[in-house]
Amino acid sequence: MVKALQHYQTSIGRKQIVATTGLLLILFITGHLAGNLLILGGPDLYNSYAKFLTGLRPGLYFIEALLGLVFLIHIWVTYLLVITNIRSRPIGYRLNSPKGDRSLAAQIMPFTGSIIFAFLIFHLWDFTFTPHSGAASILRDGKDYGLYGLVYNAFSDPLHSTFYIIAMVCIGFHLSHGIESFCQTLGFKHPKHTQAIRLVSNLFGVMIGWGYSMIPVYVLIKNMVNN
Amino acid sequence: MDKKLNLKLMIWRQKGPKDKGAFEIYKVKDIDTSMSFLEMLDVLNEELTHEGKEPIAFDHDCREGICGACAAVVNGKAHGKLKGTTLCQLHMRHFENNETIVIEPWRAKAFPVIKDLIVDRSAFDRIISAGGYISAKTGSAPDANAIPIPKENVDLAMDAAACIGCGACVAACPNASAMLFVGAKVSHLIHLPQGKVEGKSRAYDMVRQMDKEGFGNCSNEYECEAACPKNISVSTIARLNREFMFSKLTRKT
Repeated sequence: MVKALQHYQTSIGRKQIVATTGLLLILFITGHLAGNLLILGGPDLYNSYAKFLTGLRPGLYFIEALLGLVFLIHIWVTYLLVITNIRSRPIGYRLNSPKGDRSLAAQIMPFTGSIIFAFLIFHLWDFTFTPHSGAASILRDGKDYGLYGLVYNAFSDPLHSTFYIIAMVCIGFHLSHGIESFCQTLGFKHPKHTQAIRLVSNLFGVMIGWGYSMIPVYVLIKNMVNN
Repeated sequence: MDKKLNLKLMIWRQKGPKDKGAFEIYKVKDIDTSMSFLEMLDVLNEELTHEGKEPIAFDHDCREGICGACAAVVNGKAHGKLKGTTLCQLHMRHFENNETIVIEPWRAKAFPVIKDLIVDRSAFDRIISAGGYISAKTGSAPDANAIPIPKENVDLAMDAAACIGCGACVAACPNASAMLFVGAKVSHLIHLPQGKVEGKSRAYDMVRQMDKEGFGNCSNEYECEAACPKNISVSTIARLNREFMFSKLTRKT
């Protein structure tokens, strides 16, 4: 136990924790997207999916608590790393022009990460810890559409939708560096595979960012067509 | 006939480790384009000496690009804009007439400035002392072919062994991390039979020392590889990460 603690107090040990928790979060985010896209199939399909998830409780609480813990570890350990990074160069350069091709996604990792964290809190308040039926769930025809109605009404507000899309673009950027970084930090990388890993990483980032953004975009377009 | 250059130099001057330091502007005239960057500084220093001023202190030794002594950030780039060269191998033909050149020391908490452009890189020596060696007594240099090793492994070891410990990786890293240096040392020894045995404990001990010295953490942006005068690949860092994993948990002592 003492050995394990010592091991994970080192720079690489911490990075490997961030990479591993990051991978778990990627799995979650992929599953979450797959479920969310059911909204495109209409209220019945989506609400039955929500009901199916609720049916998994109380076992689901355990999984959710674990997921929350993974999130917190990922954020806390990254915070420790970033603080050391800032302290490791007390006096900066007067002129600094990178010789390599460090990507924008890599440069703004802590920034996109912070936005995602803020978004996460808002998102839980917005859709999770809020009644899934009632006033907010009633659509134009006067009927209560449950969670479907809640999400639909939220995304009918262009401001609300824009905020979600910005957050999803951040997640896309975060993942496009994250997956590549994960491979390197856990030591899978080899020059032979660099291009392939980078491509997969970027594609995955775009796919997740675009996939999630599709939902508010779909609601906005649907509203425009109906008007 | 070679072109001559007139240049404006903006150089970091710092009297000693405790001095605050500041940039000072110097002008040099009629610089031959065949000169190396350090020779250009020699010209300036000669002028300063004649004027009774303190010459600019900078590290240098072999001036052949193999010792790792010279080090400065030129116009925001470690060792200047050429890839795969040290500062001493950067020639003045790569600069324009009337150009302003900004010259700064390596910047990192672990590399404190001693004077002007000279920084204290003994942190690297302490990382090597922590584990960058083979503990068994191997005697004097053995015959080159005494222990045959597959060609691919020898190449990987040799590519990593090209590291001259100049510190450009730290200087170029957005987080002042020394991972490319440690990665190179670990990769160098791990691909050879006698170095392989202590691979895990070496990785752990060197990383522990690296952390103690105050270097930052790698964020996989690969600026180190771009700045390395020996083109050492970041795959050496992946190798280090792989060796490091569970290293403390599986070692006996």
